[in-house]
Amino acid sequence: MSSFALSAYILMWPVIVAIVLFVISRAFFREWAEARRNGEGMI
Amino acid sequence: MDGMETAQFSAVVVLGLLVFFYGGTFLLSTRIGKKTENADGYMTAGNNIGFGISAASMTATWIWASSMYASATSGYTYGISGPIHYGLWGALMILFIYPFGKRIRSVAPKAHTLAEVMYARHGRSSQLMLAGSNIVGSLISLMSNFIAGGVLISLLSPFNFTQGVFAVAAGVLLYTLWSGFRASVLTDFVQVVAMLGAVAVIVPFIFVAADFPAAFETGADNLTPQQGDFFSSEAFMEQGAPYIAAVLAYAIGNQTIAQRLFAVKQSLIKPTFVTATIGYGAMVIGVGMLGVLALYLGFEPSGGDLNNLIPEMAATYLPPALLAVFFIMIIGALSSTADSDLSALSSIMMADVYGQNVTGKEKANPRTMLLIGRLTMVLATAAAVAFASLQLSILDLLVFVGALWGALVFPVLASFYWEKVTSRAFTLSVLSALAVFLPVRFSWISVDGFFGLVVDVLSIIGVGVVLGLMVFGFLGAKPARIVGALAVVLTAPFAIGSLHEYATLSGSLVAYSVSTVVCWAMSVGNNERFDFAVIAERTGDFDDGSAAATALSEDAAPAAAGAGTPRRRSGDAEDPDGDPQPTGSK
Repeated sequence: MSSFALSAYILMWPVIVAIVLFVISRAFFREWAEARRNGEGMI
Repeated sequence: MDGMETAQFSAVVVLGLLVFFYGGTFLLSTRIGKKTENADGYMTAGNNIGFGISAASMTATWIWASSMYASATSGYTYGISGPIHYGLWGALMILFIYPFGKRIRSVAPKAHTLAEVMYARHGRSSQLMLAGSNIVGSLISLMSNFIAGGVLISLLSPFNFTQGVFAVAAGVLLYTLWSGFRASVLTDFVQVVAMLGAVAVIVPFIFVAADFPAAFETGADNLTPQQGDFFSSEAFMEQGAPYIAAVLAYAIGNQTIAQRLFAVKQSLIKPTFVTATIGYGAMVIGVGMLGVLALYLGFEPSGGDLNNLIPEMAATYLPPALLAVFFIMIIGALSSTADSDLSALSSIMMADVYGQNVTGKEKANPRTMLLIGRLTMVLATAAAVAFASLQLSILDLLVFVGALWGALVFPVLASFYWEKVTSRAFTLSVLSALAVFLPVRFSWISVDGFFGLVVDVLSIIGVGVVLGLMVFGFLGAKPARIVGALAVVLTAPFAIGSLHEYATLSGSLVAYSVSTVVCWAMSVGNNERFDFAVIAERTGDFDDGSAAATALSEDAAPAAAGAGTPRRRSGDAEDPDGDPQPTGSK
């Protein structure tokens, strides 16, 4: 594999991790806001 | 790089980080703490948690310190494909279990443990087999996480291993003890944010700090042809293949997964499991890439101990602030799994031992259950700390337990779909699988002659069973049979005469095949049909039972009042071994 391909191969994982982090965090805060609006606990 | 000095934190800094982490998680857990906790909430948070928390919790629980260390070790040992052969298959464990998870929730929407469902399906022997294997697995996992914490703290601070183990054990117990599973899943969100955020920053930082991509050119000679090959057969046979065989076994045998399966809203099972699959895979493979970078750099971990690889890479290339983030990442990873193990163990003792076998579901007192759950956490922590001092080989123990779980996979899954599976078929199939697995795994019988041929044939059938079950979850019985048969036909020419040489792999595969063949053979002629609707009736909330009502109204119900045999519904048949038989059998 070329250096460019190896670099992309190594660095793609932190990018995917960041995307998953965004998805989970967005869902968490939406649920938190909804629970507060309804006067309920999240768990 | 041999002999490179690693940066260390002072005692004050490490204490500060531990107080910050465990103090913070404890304060967070107090936000949801109730003066009077609910037994069902303590085990499954009311079966109704949302996507954000459940996906975070599933991801955090499945990522533990050992998975990061092992992935990096795989990258360092097998080269550029190494982290894939660790992280991808681990991630698929989550993905492949979700269709089965949907089925399990549909027949037992309010259950707490898989073993509890097995009690409702078959009776006591199958329940105790599953619960026993869950307990062993969770204790090993707990011990492993404490060991990882002790090693990390001793490596990066003046504190020794034992002090590190005690600090981690006390910290995890502190925030989990009162609210149980509810505290575990809430703190998992914070921990997963810390872990994922750390990986998103640390891996690119080390990449640049270690002079990549230029080091790909200068360090290319450090790799063997196999290590430089993305399709390395060595990496597949020695790392990937045994993990593929364990994909379903770990998901079935691990109560931490089942607990989250029963906790999440039923409609959110699929997005939760898919997100956790991607999150786990990317995180673990990403950390594993540090092992690949170390290989290119010619980095030598001190003492040749590959467990030192990640901490020493971090200590070498990260500035103090990011090293502190790395420290929190590892502590977060091991703590999130350890608190899940404590919650799993407490649920098993509450629901399976006390709730189903001591008092019976209807007479179980939720307050006594809570007391048992909390005592279990304290005792399990003490046991894991004690075992940690023995410094057993964690990887060997996990591989062994994983193969043991392989014997349970087909009987457990078939019990949720096939009305013909009986308690006797379940029990005998698991026991016979273990009877073949043990001599194969530990080479008690020479595999040079005829027995080797038998092992090869059984292993090939095991390949068909594993792949067939994976396909069955998504596509149903017919495609599963086709894939299973094709797998056997295609594998046979290569595997006959050689598969028995891989004791770990063939041991796991024979566990699958023997349990499947025996379970099928003992069930196929059975004329009785189980009514799956019975399971939902037998696995409802404990807090709704008559003892719960008594406890609430009288405020002091005697814990053991009425302790005895489980109450039977009219029409329940009596099994010779004392187990309840399904009312719906006909």
